[in-house]
Amino acid sequence: MRSFLRFEVRRAMSNPVNLVFLAGFPVLLYLLWTKVLDLASGPVSMVSMATYGAMGGALFIGGAIALERSSGWLRQLAVTPLPAHGYIVGKLVGGMLAVLPSVVIVLAAGALLGGVRLPAGTWLALPLLIWAGVIPFAALGVAFGYSLKGQSANIAMMVAYFLLAVLGGLWLPVSRMPEGLRTPAEYSPAYQAGSLGWRALDGLAPTGTSVLVLAGWTALFVLLGVWRYRSAAWR
Amino acid sequence: MLELTELKKNYGEITALDGVSLRVREGEKVALLGPNGAGKTTLLSIALGLLSPDSGTARLLGRPPREALAAGRVGVLLQDAGLPDDVRVGDLVGAVAGMYPTPSILADPELEALAGRRVLGLSGGQRQLVRFALALAGDPRLLILDEPTVGLDVDARRALWRQVSDRTVVFATHYLAEADDHADRVVLLSGGRVVADGPVEEIKALVGGTEVRLTLDTMDEPGLRSLPGVHAIVIEGTTATLRTGDSDATLRALFAGFGDVRNVRTSGVDLESAFVSLTGKGA
Repeated sequence: MRSFLRFEVRRAMSNPVNLVFLAGFPVLLYLLWTKVLDLASGPVSMVSMATYGAMGGALFIGGAIALERSSGWLRQLAVTPLPAHGYIVGKLVGGMLAVLPSVVIVLAAGALLGGVRLPAGTWLALPLLIWAGVIPFAALGVAFGYSLKGQSANIAMMVAYFLLAVLGGLWLPVSRMPEGLRTPAEYSPAYQAGSLGWRALDGLAPTGTSVLVLAGWTALFVLLGVWRYRSAAWR
Repeated sequence: MLELTELKKNYGEITALDGVSLRVREGEKVALLGPNGAGKTTLLSIALGLLSPDSGTARLLGRPPREALAAGRVGVLLQDAGLPDDVRVGDLVGAVAGMYPTPSILADPELEALAGRRVLGLSGGQRQLVRFALALAGDPRLLILDEPTVGLDVDARRALWRQVSDRTVVFATHYLAEADDHADRVVLLSGGRVVADGPVEEIKALVGGTEVRLTLDTMDEPGLRSLPGVHAIVIEGTTATLRTGDSDATLRALFAGFGDVRNVRTSGVDLESAFVSLTGKGA
């Protein structure tokens, strides 16, 4: 189990695709919003895009699970002493650790390219808040990973990723959305994940509502994941 | 080491296993021999707890299969197991060895040469070598190998079997020669049943040898059966198919004793047709 954990962490950290996907794309979007289109304020957009990248990293833990289920690697692991839960723990720990550097890179782009200036304490708190905020998406990713196999899982997750990010106001602020969408948007996991960082920009702690809503989504997605895991033919 | 009792398994209409029992003792080298679709992989999957039987029980090292695997003294090479593409061979083998209470890394020059390479660029044979190294990573008492030499060249095959020599081994194959070279006991599977189980020589006599086909207008089954070397005979109308361990002697006596024999043809016996005669089912 420890051996597998080390293996997964090393693997996650040495995968350059992760960084390009989780940090490069959000940085480009950030520059597009703030520099080219001048649509959003620098710091808010920086936090939104860091959250957006982190959310993708958490969600696509499930993509890796789906691929390894169909490639037969899970079958190989099933005949080793590694317990079934050990595999999921390894994937979650490795995947969530790989999220951190991508968050730091987007924030660094904000400071260096976007000229965002914040108190030192805020710079320290932001990556941790953003990282904690995307935990529900890791659970959702696992549920996806045990529902679908191979490439179809990735496509389904791309769609979910995009819809949840848009609904959560990571692309365009919720305040610019049509009236009817605002309430569902505010209870969506991506909005609450983003709000941890947005409030931190003003020096505010997360609200109780944020913590409750995020915990609620996490619990729901974990239940979904456990159910999907139990009904998957190959663990 | 391995104990299977009355295993049955159906996939919908298809019967994969139809009441198979098998007991493997310490130190034995057992080949599960059978054509594709005989139920070899299903049998091994159930023995490993990867698949549940419809009825019957499987025990590995005296325990339920999952527990035995968790204890880490069983090494397994699966036919359809994948490997993660993005990691280096050395890291992969090291990580899997680290999961076992008694880690052991296969000392093989070819594997050592691959240690720094990523799995992505490996050939089929190199991947099989890595899979084999994973099977040995826990210094297992019992090795279970499903078609272990598929994709390997001659040298790699020899290296693989050398590693196996001092362990209890159960392996599936559809090559009689492989069973002959590396097993001391052969279990013949066909259509989900054990059709023969015994020492290699015994099974070779059953499935090896030469087949002689002939036409005889006045069929004389006892006469044909008493020809030297013949150990099996199938008659359909005026056509007879003999199976012989000594085709020269059989043919000499055939032409001497049966003046009206026609259309004599001989052919080597392949495994598939041998099963047909053993199980009495037409192909």
